[in-house]
Amino acid sequence: MDRVTFGRIIKGGFVNFFRNGVVSLATVLVISLTMFMLGSVLVGGIFLNGVISNLEEKVDITAYFKLDTDERDILEVKSNLEKLPDVKGVVFVSRDEALNKFLERHKGDELYMKTIEIVGDNPFPASLEIQAVDPSRFEAISVFLESGRFQNLIDEKSPGIKNISYRLNQSVIDRLSVILRTIKLVGFGISLILALIALMVAYNTVRLAIYSSKDEISVMQLVGASRSFIRGPFLVEGVIHGVISALFTIVAFYPLLLWAGKRTAGIFGGIDIYGYYVSYIWQISFILLLVGIAIGVLSSALAMRRYLKV
Amino acid sequence: MIYFDNVSKVYSPTSIALEDVSFSIAPKEFVSIVGRSGAGKSTLLKLLLAEESPSSGSVFFESHNIHKLSRKELPFLRRKMGVVFQDYRLLPHRTAYENVAFALEAAGKSEDDIAHDVQQVLELVGLMDKAWHFPHELSGGEKQRAAIARALVVAPEVVIADEPTGNLDPMNTWEIVRLLEKINDLGTTVILATHDKEIINYLKRRVLTIEKGKLVRDEAEGRYVL
Ligand SMILES: Nc1ncnc2c1ncn2[C@@H]1O[C@H](COP(=O)(O)OP(=O)(O)OP(=O)(O)O)[C@@H](O)[C@H]1O
Ligand SMILES: [Mg+2]
Repeated sequence: MDRVTFGRIIKGGFVNFFRNGVVSLATVLVISLTMFMLGSVLVGGIFLNGVISNLEEKVDITAYFKLDTDERDILEVKSNLEKLPDVKGVVFVSRDEALNKFLERHKGDELYMKTIEIVGDNPFPASLEIQAVDPSRFEAISVFLESGRFQNLIDEKSPGIKNISYRLNQSVIDRLSVILRTIKLVGFGISLILALIALMVAYNTVRLAIYSSKDEISVMQLVGASRSFIRGPFLVEGVIHGVISALFTIVAFYPLLLWAGKRTAGIFGGIDIYGYYVSYIWQISFILLLVGIAIGVLSSALAMRRYLKV
Repeated sequence: MIYFDNVSKVYSPTSIALEDVSFSIAPKEFVSIVGRSGAGKSTLLKLLLAEESPSSGSVFFESHNIHKLSRKELPFLRRKMGVVFQDYRLLPHRTAYENVAFALEAAGKSEDDIAHDVQQVLELVGLMDKAWHFPHELSGGEKQRAAIARALVVAPEVVIADEPTGNLDPMNTWEIVRLLEKINDLGTTVILATHDKEIINYLKRRVLTIEKGKLVRDEAEGRYVL
């Protein structure tokens, strides 16, 4: 195809788009709606992933050691823990650090300061903060601590009960994480079905628009236009529809997510959907643009096929 | 140049449009096709344009079997034909000018050539003052003249005109007929389907008469007889 013909096809697409005014607008709206559905699935997915991993990062185990434990022993425990496949990371908090943290946290609080003074010595044990790969692996880690050769190093709350604390109760975390995953799956499923329906509507809108041009298409063929010369402008129009719809959608998400973000900020430990959207804006825009163009062009191409047969 | 070999077209058992039609047309001939309404004139022309395919038989254009051409080859064949449709078939979203220009654009002609050729044929059919009107802003006769302009602009080897004067007043009718004669004199084959007795009798050219889908007469200097 030479440059002149290519230019004519591009121009034809734009001319069609503007001369079809109302139909173009309707098509753009329907495709936008489709993209909006798809976008919601995308943003929702990213958001829920964020919530889940955020939650999982909060899942950690703290093991407190007896006050007289040698630091070298604790570090040995640490390096042993780090070898476990269930462990994501281990942070050592020495007695001094624990004290400093406490003082930091209760700065200016007379009562606490006095208590520390009265006790005189540093009352805080050294500890290891252990992050599990997965909340369900808690059990294995605590078994390792409580029954291994280090068990004697670990402080006891009361005889027989080791001082190991879970920052969040394991079963709660487990349940929450299951619920979130279910929400993600079900939500994804429903949105996907809705998006598919929207996709069908978009395709049918495009098809209807092309159907109304079917006589034109056959005349074009009869006066000697090649199939690609006829199809070209329709595909260009599809690209225009897709790009405008994508831009529409990207812009429409801003106020919506700002609102949704404010409403949900308190629920999931301050994760901000709007923030997620803004920080992923390039990736999301790119995907929406691709999807929009794909919907516009594929709908046109598919709808064209049956009218190019004269 | 054009050869119909035992061509039949059956749309459905109740409408048999053509039955065993055979004839050939030599280059530079001027052939009129006459017949009552519903005799099969338009069908014959549609077969020549490969808009419809024959139920049996074959149609040849310059030794190509038209209906065996691939989708890629077909447009090149059609660019050798200039067609005036009975129902005009102008592109509704394009002005008269753009309608005429379309076939040239599709053939990949340069903008300069297009501007020149389109202007020329529009002047020829007397439509220059309405060049930027859309089809719905044109009268029946003006639409017909735009359709004729579109057929002529590609400088075709054969002009196929299906009742090109149906909506024209006597003055315009004769202008078109003389135009077709002139084109034919310049070496273009012309196939004209018409009801118009006066035109046929004036032309004194070859006449094919179709009755109920059958070719019943083929006279070298025919008159209109039905
Ligand atoms: N697409 C179609 N489907 C079914 N029957 C058709 C179709 N097109 C034409 N016919 C039938 O074929 C026959 C011939 O039609 P055609 O259009 O060729 O006639 P014509 O000679 O051009 O008539 P007119 O002078 O009125 O234009 C008619 O009986 C018509 O009803
Ligand atoms: Mg007819």
